[in-house]
Amino acid sequence: MASKVTVIGTGNFGSTVAFILAMRGSCHEVVLRGRNIDIAKGKALDMSQAANAAREHTIVRAAETAKDMAGSEIVVITAGAPRSPGMNRDDLLVKNAEIVKGYALEIKEYAPNAIVVVVSNPLDVMTYVVHKYTGFPRERILGMAGILDSARMAHFIYEKLGYGAGQIRATVMGGHGDTMVPLPKFTTVAGVPIADLLDSEEIGEVVQKTRDGGAQIVNLLGSGSAYYAPAKSTAVMVDAILKDTKQIHSCAVLLKGEYGYSDIVSGVPVMIGAAGGEKVIEMSLNDLQKTRFKNSVASVKEMVDALCATRFFEDCEE
Amino acid sequence: MVNRKVGIVGAGAVGASAAYALTLMGVCKEIVLFDVAPGVAHGKAIDIAQAGYYAPQDTIVTHVDIASDMKNCDIVVITAGVPRKPGMTRADLLMINAKIMKDVVGNIVENSPNAIIICVSNPLDVMTYAIHKITGWDRNRIIGMAGALDGSRMAYQISKLTGISKRQTGSLVIGDHGENMIPLPDKILVGDVPLNELISKEDMEGIIERTRFGGAEIVKHLGTSGYYGPGRAIAHMVEAILNDTHTIISSSVLLDGEYGFSNVTVGVPAVLGRNGIERIIELKLDEEIKTKFKVSVDSIQSGIDILNENNFFKGE
Repeated sequence: MASKVTVIGTGNFGSTVAFILAMRGSCHEVVLRGRNIDIAKGKALDMSQAANAAREHTIVRAAETAKDMAGSEIVVITAGAPRSPGMNRDDLLVKNAEIVKGYALEIKEYAPNAIVVVVSNPLDVMTYVVHKYTGFPRERILGMAGILDSARMAHFIYEKLGYGAGQIRATVMGGHGDTMVPLPKFTTVAGVPIADLLDSEEIGEVVQKTRDGGAQIVNLLGSGSAYYAPAKSTAVMVDAILKDTKQIHSCAVLLKGEYGYSDIVSGVPVMIGAAGGEKVIEMSLNDLQKTRFKNSVASVKEMVDALCATRFFEDCEE
Repeated sequence: MVNRKVGIVGAGAVGASAAYALTLMGVCKEIVLFDVAPGVAHGKAIDIAQAGYYAPQDTIVTHVDIASDMKNCDIVVITAGVPRKPGMTRADLLMINAKIMKDVVGNIVENSPNAIIICVSNPLDVMTYAIHKITGWDRNRIIGMAGALDGSRMAYQISKLTGISKRQTGSLVIGDHGENMIPLPDKILVGDVPLNELISKEDMEGIIERTRFGGAEIVKHLGTSGYYGPGRAIAHMVEAILNDTHTIISSSVLLDGEYGFSNVTVGVPAVLGRNGIERIIELKLDEEIKTKFKVSVDSIQSGIDILNENNFFKGE
């Protein structure tokens, strides 16, 4: 059977994910699923033609119905209302939860063996929603957050250093939001610890810029949010699964006791392979990092509770 | 770097593997091979050029029969030298290979006067030093290939032990390219995770040992030194220079006060770009590693001393 990836959402984000996969020949077939089928068809044709220009084998086509997702090894959910300037991630909560729930139910029915990569915001909560509405084992649901945050942090480190681009390994844990937990202690440039290269004030600036990284782009663009780096980060996860690379990336996953939390989604290092998130890796955090991680988890929990208050989940405690 | 022309002196297994890796990567516009053994460079150049049909970019691969015909290279890789044979002392080997360096470098100075030299000949750090002294060039233009290979060997050991992708495994090896090399696995990350979170202290020691003897392990099975790893590591350095990537690659460089040493070559992290060594990174070493680093530098210095005692740098 041909390798197949479905991308839900044909906006800038979803389209760019599909385009990267097609340009790399990552899989044989990419299916674009969006509400407007003509737009999906138009973009699919454009990308299939680009794949020929790139001499790649990938065919991109549009889904006419949810059934066209059948046989997907991976389904990427990018659907959701965009974040406008001044809009907090949490404002999107209820609106996007309904959208993501709808797609989760479709995936459960038509692509029951797929691995789901979630990128809709607020990310950690949407990943949780997919868990609740697919019932898939946690290995098969991964939220994309840490790779993007790490890439942003690496960029801001490069701005300071002026060398080492592509060699900077930055670590960011926790929620994909204002409470993310950048870990400069676990950040290196070609193996060289960042503390050997930058002073603590510079590292502090890098951390702050990383936290504000998404908002900075939203403000500059005026309408819509970043999608090149988010799409590439998503494609990295898709490639890691398709090629069974066993790479470690920070991803949002359902915790089962790791780091002391359960039944909540947060960003932690995960080994990615053909089975999805094959292993959750527990790092020893210092007290400050533990506190930040706790705050991050608490903010995700708050949003889950907010959804419960609207009776979004069937099993919400009263 | 308009020509993107790379000369490789010595078309043995290492030199040819470097040419092969570069061709498959499509990094250079032109590669020129030279070897003292007749026919070797010519035959391998044709074979590699034909393999290049399947590469992402065209590379012209040619050879020269006379060393001085290798002209106007942007980079020259020196892999020439003899291996240590039974009955040969360390001093014998040093003097033989240093004399080979003198011949090779004389041609480069004359015919590729603006080149950057990558030294691969052994003993690596001492030969790199000899090239510095022979040319008198700015230190940024002469780089010894060591950490690029030793790092890949360390990443291999880590990946073998943990089962996690090599591509994500950082690597950092400093010191000499010999028995006193200093692998620093405890500093590196595997993906987002510090290695010491993944493996025990004992395993860490094992990785250090196996990295240090990574070359010897291959010799044990093969009866000769490895060359695929070295060839690809050379290509990594060439790519950084030609593409001006400003990538950090541990390399043997002439120190001028860094780490507290001067006028000696030793492996430390360096930023490589179109000027060769763009910057030397000074790691903050703890006392234990500082001591090891001194042992390593001393071992290289003793090799340099042998050259001096034999009046190698004082003309004929």
